[in-house]
Amino acid sequence: MDYFNKMRGTTQSPPGVNFPEIIWSWIGAFAGIAAVSYSHYTFFAQTDMAMIIGSFGASAVLLYGAIKSPLAQPRNLMGGHILSAIIGVCAYKLFSGQMWLASSVAVATAIAVMHATRTLHPPGGATSLIAVIGSQKIHSLGFFYVVMPVGLGALIMLVVALLVNNIPEKRRYPEFWF
Amino acid sequence: MTDRFRHENTCSLNPPDISDADILDAMKDIEGYLDITPGDFKTLYQSAYTHALERLARTVQARDVMTEKVICVQADTPAAEVAHVMANHGISGVPVVDRKNRVVGVISEKDFLFSLGNQDKTSFMEVIAHCLSNGDCLAISIREQDAGHIMTAPAITVQGDVSVSAISGILTENRINRVPVIDKKGKLLGIVTRADIVQSSCIPTIKTDHHR
Repeated sequence: MDYFNKMRGTTQSPPGVNFPEIIWSWIGAFAGIAAVSYSHYTFFAQTDMAMIIGSFGASAVLLYGAIKSPLAQPRNLMGGHILSAIIGVCAYKLFSGQMWLASSVAVATAIAVMHATRTLHPPGGATSLIAVIGSQKIHSLGFFYVVMPVGLGALIMLVVALLVNNIPEKRRYPEFWF
Repeated sequence: MTDRFRHENTCSLNPPDISDADILDAMKDIEGYLDITPGDFKTLYQSAYTHALERLARTVQARDVMTEKVICVQADTPAAEVAHVMANHGISGVPVVDRKNRVVGVISEKDFLFSLGNQDKTSFMEVIAHCLSNGDCLAISIREQDAGHIMTAPAITVQGDVSVSAISGILTENRINRVPVIDKKGKLLGIVTRADIVQSSCIPTIKTDHHR
């Protein structure tokens, strides 16, 4: 019975944020995603390289919408993306014959490694998965995927977070660096 | 946690009971999205509060809470004068010191009481009963005596660096209300009473025996 009782939950949802918070989250996300996607579509769309991947959309939620969260801090953002990218590329190289295995090993290992290194960043799971299930263009990047789009893209989003999140008087970022 | 502690009467180990509504209000005061549920916050708060109490109990020392101007008597002070001193200052016990200010004993109301009757009486009512039925326990019996005779010796004392939690344990285990604080040479520095401990910020008595 205890087992099923646990599924009822014990507490309630945190309160909603005020209107300025919503606006600043929008502005930050717009600027951050604009920075990476503009460079992607302007400079790299016609090349073999890329600057934006889907997991940056998830990072934007944290970086611009939940800026106090430990998951949104620079250590987690950079560490989580870079470690997960390495794991994703390895998983694809090792198990590309069994895509279901490569995918699940990539995400599960990414979570474990992020936990072990105190760099848990949920979008990292997507970053590792994209290395496996991504396009031929992503696959052909090999380990360069770790540097670009992942490392460089995350870095650009971080710079935008530092610039935008500290404009309002009552917002500040980061809580900690490392 | 609670079985590890015994509380002083007026103290509680539990933090003020904050409600979910309080937590939600506080979360609204802090602008921005907080990545924690009210339930987790409450658990954190209660745990942190307990840790703070434990830390204070460990780090607050006798010299931090003791009363420094101690009223004390000499071993050869007549009992009647000791009684006057205690009555005039409204205190229920005094340390007894020798010429070099070293603590040699403590006199409390109990010591007077038990000097009135036979030494083996252990409660106030036993002394009353004994006096009423035998009539041999007039105050006269201690009139000729001095502090050195009626004091409890050796005194239970502590050094200045003993933690308040340890003192709480000593007071409880020995059923005493005050303990003189001495330096390394045994000289009187101050005194810590139960009231000092209660006032020192409600520090729980950490039991010094088997539970730790």
